[in-house]
Amino acid sequence: MRMQCLDTKFFTSSTSLAPIQLPSRMETHLWYVIPNEVKSEQLLNKYLEFLPKSEKERVFSMRGDELQKGALLARALVRTTIARYQTNQVSPRSLKFRKNIHGKPEVDWQQIEDWHPQQLHFNISHTESLVACGVTTHNPIGIDIEEKERKIKHSISSFAKRYFSQQEVQLLSSISDPEIQRQEFIKLWTLKEAYVKALGRGFSGSPFKTFTIRSVAASKEGIHLSESSSSENSDIVVESLEDSANHTGDWRFALLELAGSHYAAICSKNHPMKMSVWRTIPLVEDEYVSGTDSVIAVGGLM
Amino acid sequence: MASFTASSISFTPLSSSLNLNKGLAKSSVSLSINGISFPSHGLKSVSRRFSVSCAAKPETVDKVCEIVRKQLAIQPDVAVSGDSKFAALGADSLDTVEIVMGLEEEFGISVEEESAQTIATVQDAADLIENLVEKKGSA
Repeated sequence: MRMQCLDTKFFTSSTSLAPIQLPSRMETHLWYVIPNEVKSEQLLNKYLEFLPKSEKERVFSMRGDELQKGALLARALVRTTIARYQTNQVSPRSLKFRKNIHGKPEVDWQQIEDWHPQQLHFNISHTESLVACGVTTHNPIGIDIEEKERKIKHSISSFAKRYFSQQEVQLLSSISDPEIQRQEFIKLWTLKEAYVKALGRGFSGSPFKTFTIRSVAASKEGIHLSESSSSENSDIVVESLEDSANHTGDWRFALLELAGSHYAAICSKNHPMKMSVWRTIPLVEDEYVSGTDSVIAVGGLM
Repeated sequence: MASFTASSISFTPLSSSLNLNKGLAKSSVSLSINGISFPSHGLKSVSRRFSVSCAAKPETVDKVCEIVRKQLAIQPDVAVSGDSKFAALGADSLDTVEIVMGLEEEFGISVEEESAQTIATVQDAADLIENLVEKKGSA
């Protein structure tokens, strides 16, 4: 039920799980939930029913109601979204997940009868105020989201010197305005997180210092949100500082301002990266938001 | 904590009456060795991993809890103790890094990335800190 309405909001309401079409090789899908929009206890309990015992326990092990709700929404979003992509009827509860050799979560397809997966890949990220799930086929995906207003308690330059590559440190230290420097730091952090999550090795498996992410058509100030088309035509690329055989040229990035409140970085090998974004409340509604104010390209997108 | 290594004491009868999973904040149990009694708060650091000789001082654990509380803006009604897992408290990778940097500043130590990655609970952090402080002191 993908709809391409650029001018108007498009809602689909359903009380069950409406099927959705898989992204093609060149597409990336991004689904997000805003926890504040999910208030019904009844709905949250329905989501809980989708989780196996181990996931329920993990949700309840989170310390605090808001954290528990966020964890629940993350699992519900992943399970319902993946279930909807199946051509046959698969219940969200029946999906099994496992970790790959590096610890990255993936769907365990063997547990589902009659399913021939088109190599569906997914990755989740969430903050207190937004839960997101990216989906691709054929190639792995990594996403990371961060609140735009997130304050860093330590000095950006000490952070950067410790964790970022030399080029990235230089770029950040050339920014004189502390607020812009903070923003650029957050954007860079999400891009680097998205990359290591796409690789599937996690923060410890791919130390941030071992690669540089930069915008190819960037000005000295970094990746700016700008009205001019030049920033939208810029490519965001990654270079490995360790191993030149890392084929880093295959990876592509997109950086968005999402829902007015977050930076979202998406990394995959799909190129060109055509993004489709939905705001959703599982079991209730989808809203296709690409082309609206909820999705503003900051760089790397077609 | 040399007093705890007196092998003739058996913790077992005591531990069965303690709820080790929840922490011992409200416990009023006291340990008696050879007629000398020790205050119960010293038992806070005895968690599931019974490595008494390496367990961090309660003051260190408390300091770590304080730093974690601040970084993660934890609600006052949420308990944070040695057993608390950073992930369960809502820490993402950026938080964990900020917590490590905060601990370095507080204790005047330097934490290597490989060690930082092994920290999963408050207790882990406290143990690592004391290890590093000790190494620094003997250097």
